[in-house]
Amino acid sequence: MLRRNVRLRREYLYRKSLEGKERIRYENKRKIAEALQEGKPIPTELRNVEAELRAEIDLEDDKTAVPRSYIDDEYATATEKDPKILLTTSRDPSAPLVQFVKELKIVFPNAERINRGGQVISEIIESCRSHDFTDVILVHEHRGVPDGMIISHLPFGPTAYFGLLNVVTRHDIKDKKAIGTMSEAYPHLILDNFNTKLGERTANILKHLFPVPKPDTKRILTFANQSDYISFRHHVYEKRGGPKSVELREIGPRFEMRLYQVTLGYRNQLGSCGSCL
Amino acid sequence: MGRPSEAAGMEALHQLKSTEPPQWLAPSASLSESARAASQHLFASLRPHVRKSPFDELLVDNFDAEQIWQQIDLLTQPLVRSIRRRVKHWEKNPAEIENLLPEVADGGKKVAQGKKMEEIDDDDDDDGGDMDMDDDDDDDDEEMDVDNDGEQDGGKDEGDESEEEEEEKSGGIEDKFLKIKELQEHLEDEEARHYGLDAKNKKSKKKSGSKKLEDEDDDSEEGEEDKEEDDDEDEEVDLFAGGDDEDEEDEMGNARYEDFFGKKKGGSEPKPRFKDELGEDSSSGEEEKEEELSSDDDDDEEEDDDENVNKKPKVLSTHEKEVQKIKSEIEKMEKANLDPKTWTMQGEVTAANRPKNSALEVDLDFEHNVRPVPVITEEVTQSLEEIIKKRIIEGQFDDIKRAPGLPSKAPRELKPVDENKSNKGLAEVYEEEFVQQTDPAAAPLSFSDEQKKEIIEDMSIQSNVPALAMEEIAPVAVSDAAMLAPEEVFSGKGNVKAEVELTQTERKRRRAKKKRKFKAVETKKMASKKAREDELRKQKEGTLLVVQVTHLCCQINVMLNQKL
Repeated sequence: MLRRNVRLRREYLYRKSLEGKERIRYENKRKIAEALQEGKPIPTELRNVEAELRAEIDLEDDKTAVPRSYIDDEYATATEKDPKILLTTSRDPSAPLVQFVKELKIVFPNAERINRGGQVISEIIESCRSHDFTDVILVHEHRGVPDGMIISHLPFGPTAYFGLLNVVTRHDIKDKKAIGTMSEAYPHLILDNFNTKLGERTANILKHLFPVPKPDTKRILTFANQSDYISFRHHVYEKRGGPKSVELREIGPRFEMRLYQVTLGYRNQLGSCGSCL
Repeated sequence: MGRPSEAAGMEALHQLKSTEPPQWLAPSASLSESARAASQHLFASLRPHVRKSPFDELLVDNFDAEQIWQQIDLLTQPLVRSIRRRVKHWEKNPAEIENLLPEVADGGKKVAQGKKMEEIDDDDDDDGGDMDMDDDDDDDDEEMDVDNDGEQDGGKDEGDESEEEEEEKSGGIEDKFLKIKELQEHLEDEEARHYGLDAKNKKSKKKSGSKKLEDEDDDSEEGEEDKEEDDDEDEEVDLFAGGDDEDEEDEMGNARYEDFFGKKKGGSEPKPRFKDELGEDSSSGEEEKEEELSSDDDDDEEEDDDENVNKKPKVLSTHEKEVQKIKSEIEKMEKANLDPKTWTMQGEVTAANRPKNSALEVDLDFEHNVRPVPVITEEVTQSLEEIIKKRIIEGQFDDIKRAPGLPSKAPRELKPVDENKSNKGLAEVYEEEFVQQTDPAAAPLSFSDEQKKEIIEDMSIQSNVPALAMEEIAPVAVSDAAMLAPEEVFSGKGNVKAEVELTQTERKRRRAKKKRKFKAVETKKMASKKAREDELRKQKEGTLLVVQVTHLCCQINVMLNQKL
């Protein structure tokens, strides 16, 4: 298991290193294709490679034409398997933090919560790997208020560090009847305004925490980005008056997230590496 | 260009003389014209006296002031030199003057001599420099050339006379402006102050020394004189580092304020004046004392003003005021610079280095690289919900989609392969293949009919042979395959329960079912029975009918036969 993971990681890094060359070849092929289409002479720098590239252009189909980007390659196999999430806290959590983590367990489908106890992060990650978990989420707090969230994708995946602000938990709302129970169906996702490259990466990390939903579920999770602060909202909707009218009912916790770090491996937050590859 | 006549030149000169000084401040074409004409006239008048000069006349048309001056310079330099030489010569040989200028009176002669002496002294006093050296050399030459030996005695004697009469002659040239003796003394005082009192003594010694030398009756007198003068002038050259310019302006160069406007209160005027000015400046720096001192200074100034025509007015002009203001500001700023800086201006300041709670009062300016935390208001929530609703209505979500499986392998096609043994032998198979290859016509159109014939379902009868038959003495070879499978034996469906397991309702249900069944069977039986009986009856009736019919027929036959 360990060696397999080492090998997988090395393959990933190697493929990522080839990306540069691939991109250059792709560019050249595109130039040649353009020149051929417009009937212009081929640029001089491409004359030598023109023959072989032209052969390749003919053999390409639409899947192989565009070069593969290896940025989110950690999630290449994610669509084949449903994600499995482990939720836990920092050491010695306070009662509000434990409640919050319980809520989060219901928010993420296919999630398990464990007590932290005195475990070291590397132990947790080892056990996760052996039980085929795909993601680990750690929640930190400050005097009862949750203030940090670390999302790690497990097979050598990326780690995103968020700070949590303006947290409102379901437990804070005293009136249980008003809130009702939380739906546990696989939700639809809305990821709004993630436009930059970093935004795309973060969106991918968040997206792959959830499984493929049924098309007609009523549960919506929203991650809306506004000036670098991501708002998390949890709604259930009803289309009562017809197809165009939508009534939203908010359930679940709401908080703002601020990304402050994304690392390539799954190094734990204390700085000692989970696996130095 | 025509050379203007003498009269025109004189007229130009007079015009220049008559113009008011302020008119010189602005450049004026007419003035420059007249100035040029005048300089041309003067040049022309001087030209004959110069032995060799590159210019015969002064060229002024389209020439720069600098260029005109250069021309004049070229002309006058040698002229001045020669004049000086001559003057010196006459100084030593006063008799010659009488020859040259017989019309001048004795007083005038003495004046000339005195002037010469003073000139020389002035030269000495001023920055003598090279010209004096040259003059002395020239002097020596001149004296070699000119026959002076005979006149040395005369020169000596008259040198004595000149001494005594020096003091007398003052009335002639000098007026209230030009008190040359006073000027001299003043200058000496100044120099004494500058360079120490020894100089003054030296000077007087030199003077007297030179005079004594003149008294002697030696041939080498003049040489010594000259030497002395040389030495003096050497010394004075050393003392006064020279500029050549002053030599040319002998008459004008030594003019001082006092020459024009008379001396003020002895020689001590400049000092208190300077002090007054100092006093003013220092007082202007300190606002508190300004008024007191300035009033004093003003008083002094006023006194000065009364004595001399002082340019400084009692009330300060605007410019003066501005200057004072600026000066005071400068003073302030310089003072502030010298003070230690406030803590806000010092680089890194910890809490210990600044007064208590001072950071609260100051407006500190940080660079924030993080945007401020958003406050979640109603509007924010509204806008978020709007976005969500829109997405729901559109049906556009950002879920992950299951990737379509890669068509790596085509699904296996399972052909229905017959597992039974082929009826044809292999030889027959080859035979058919051969025939097909060689003669397609001969081969039957398709093999499928034969195959169909061959694929006959083997029907075998399977009877429910009890297993116990196996245990007979002469066991019949009954294989398992011949026997029926349990499901073929069992004729029930669903959840089979034994009688003991049944609940009451179930038992009742079973019984009712049984009865229904039985009844159904019974009715069927009855129906069939009935049908049979009906048939029998019908048959009977039929037969009866038939019998009756046959009976009738017989009767008929009999009757018929009877008739026969």
